[in-house]
Amino acid sequence: MTLGDAVEPLVHIKNFRMDFGETTVVKDLSFDVRAGETFGFLGSNGSGKTTTLRALLGIYQPTAGTLHIGGKVFEPRDGARLGYLPEERGLYKKEAVLDVMVYFGRLKGLTKHKARTWSQTYLERVGLADKAAVRLDKLSGGQQQKVQLGVTIMNDPDLLILDEPTKGFDPVNRRLLMDIIEEQKLAGATVIMVTHQMEEVERLCDRVILLKDGTSRAYGTVAEVQDQFGGTMYRLGYEGVLPASDLYDVVRDADGQAELAPAAGADETAVLRELIGAGVAVRSFATARASLEEIFIQVYGEQHEMAEV
Amino acid sequence: MARTAFKQHNLGTVVGFEFMRTIKKRGFVIATLAIPVVFAIIFALVYASNSSTSANADAQKNSALTFTYTDASGLIPAPLAQAIGGSLTSDPDAALESVKNGSSEAYFAYPADPGTEPVKVYGADKGMFENGKYEAVAKHLLVTAAQSRVNSPEVTAALSGGVKFDAETYRDGRVSGGIGSVIPPLLFLVIFYVSIILLSNQMLNSTLEEKENRVTEMILTTLNPTTLVTGKIISLFAVGLLQIAVFLTPIAVGYFLFRDSVSLPDVDLSSLVFEPVPMITGALLLLGGFTLFTGVLVAIGAVMPSAKEAGTIFGPLMALIFVPFYAVSLIISDPTALIVQVFTYFPLTAPVTALLRNGFGTLGAGESAIVIAEIFIAGILILRLAVHLFRYGSIEYGRKLSIAGTFRRKELMAK
Repeated sequence: MTLGDAVEPLVHIKNFRMDFGETTVVKDLSFDVRAGETFGFLGSNGSGKTTTLRALLGIYQPTAGTLHIGGKVFEPRDGARLGYLPEERGLYKKEAVLDVMVYFGRLKGLTKHKARTWSQTYLERVGLADKAAVRLDKLSGGQQQKVQLGVTIMNDPDLLILDEPTKGFDPVNRRLLMDIIEEQKLAGATVIMVTHQMEEVERLCDRVILLKDGTSRAYGTVAEVQDQFGGTMYRLGYEGVLPASDLYDVVRDADGQAELAPAAGADETAVLRELIGAGVAVRSFATARASLEEIFIQVYGEQHEMAEV
Repeated sequence: MARTAFKQHNLGTVVGFEFMRTIKKRGFVIATLAIPVVFAIIFALVYASNSSTSANADAQKNSALTFTYTDASGLIPAPLAQAIGGSLTSDPDAALESVKNGSSEAYFAYPADPGTEPVKVYGADKGMFENGKYEAVAKHLLVTAAQSRVNSPEVTAALSGGVKFDAETYRDGRVSGGIGSVIPPLLFLVIFYVSIILLSNQMLNSTLEEKENRVTEMILTTLNPTTLVTGKIISLFAVGLLQIAVFLTPIAVGYFLFRDSVSLPDVDLSSLVFEPVPMITGALLLLGGFTLFTGVLVAIGAVMPSAKEAGTIFGPLMALIFVPFYAVSLIISDPTALIVQVFTYFPLTAPVTALLRNGFGTLGAGESAIVIAEIFIAGILILRLAVHLFRYGSIEYGRKLSIAGTFRRKELMAK
């Protein structure tokens, strides 16, 4: 099966629910991922992202709902060209790097020769050419991650699913990783990426979904989500003390700089009047879209506040 | 690169990978080579000892023994005794005293009736092994004397029990093979024990490794779990055959090239009878038993979070393959006994019990068919369970799997 030729959407999830005993991890989740796009799967720890991916890949049996890749339930035996980098990293630690890569290459349908050649080229690129014959457990965590990424992409996947791909990478290697993902995207791969790095999402993702407590809180293009959830933000330079108000939420406030999320129906005139009326000396005032990070903090801030209460 | 579809034929890849990485492990190489090395050392020691023993025996044979004797029976002809260094004495006390003070090597006192009274043998102490020659010479003298009186070696041989017997029994009008027909089917029992004992730990760890290395998710999205588990079992079986071949090599070399030097028993291989029915039954019981135990071990590996915790179940399970030996005499002599019947049909004791009964010819055709079918069905069911547990259990990193939980999830899915 060639996933790249699949009718859109490539990934289709509808009314997905996942229970573990008495605990419901994902409640009623529906979303699509279109062929060729890079899709950001966002959410705090425990929001159900990894569970959703595992159910999509047949590792978990879903309690209810439809989870399709290329129009059907995923089965490895179908030979779909899929690359999956799980959150729980691991390979055969007591085997040599090249042996493990060739093994996975063979499992993914490459010839032995091609798997070996590809692996050697990849190891050279990521600076591990001299480690080809070394056992995996003799490598550092970051080096093992690079090997695992290589194993993930070595079959030139049509669908690339990356669960927190930058976890454990230093900034230099994170850049390398992002470049590799971008190359896959340019080569036509559909990418689903779970990450907490919002700048990566803004740089790479066409569309995103924001999960909280097993349900979708925002879904669409990055701009749509900014409009849908974060909407307009007010960036403020001031002196004095910001008063609490029903007209806005203070998203950020430090060193005389603040970001305010206006309440529904509140406009900038009303907000400014409220501030000046409270004795705040406003030095600058500008409207801007909330960044994904701000939206993330806003969404999950509620959760933390609730927890603290 | 063109994005084209591919079909996966991964069983061979899994078998090759698992086989190679097992035989490349240092521990495996040491363990496998240790046994032939030990055999080689033992053979070398036996060879050296035999050379020395042979030299000693020659020396003993060549050294003449001088002794005195008294003969109340009148059986010993004086010339015969003289020929081997004996001289008749009429004073037993003096003869014994001579031995005690070292002036005589030995003194033999033949009683009036050697059939009811012992021959007294006195000698100067020359060490535990060399002291045996006194009795040997005394006996030789008496037997030779008796032969000369009877004047018939055949009668002497019959009287002394030195006669060989060659028994022949019949079954269904044909000569049965005797012990020669028992040994070949019992070889399957030996192979079963060797393979389970040597490979059980690897079977247990084969799926635990995926779990402990956190490689399960990568595997499950690349490969069907049935293919993985089947590939692992085939590779383990191949590893077992390799080990057996390595173990047998020095024995075969010793048997065919150095049999006399290393004192290997002179087994007449041509006396072995390979009857087709017991051999086929034995092969099927071996294969079914191996499948059954492998399935159980793989299932344990899928359920348990670590090798350490799996070990608590592993021990009792292994004990089950030895349990039938508590009733081995009944298994051979009274196959209808209740305990034998229970052992024959209880799946985890069935392979060993049935292999024993098959070897000794007490497993009927109907029973064979039932037991073979039972252990194959049980083995396949357990393997399917093992694959299911691996698929839904091996993702439970660091946690013990609830078997019921894996089925509950499936039921919910079906609703």
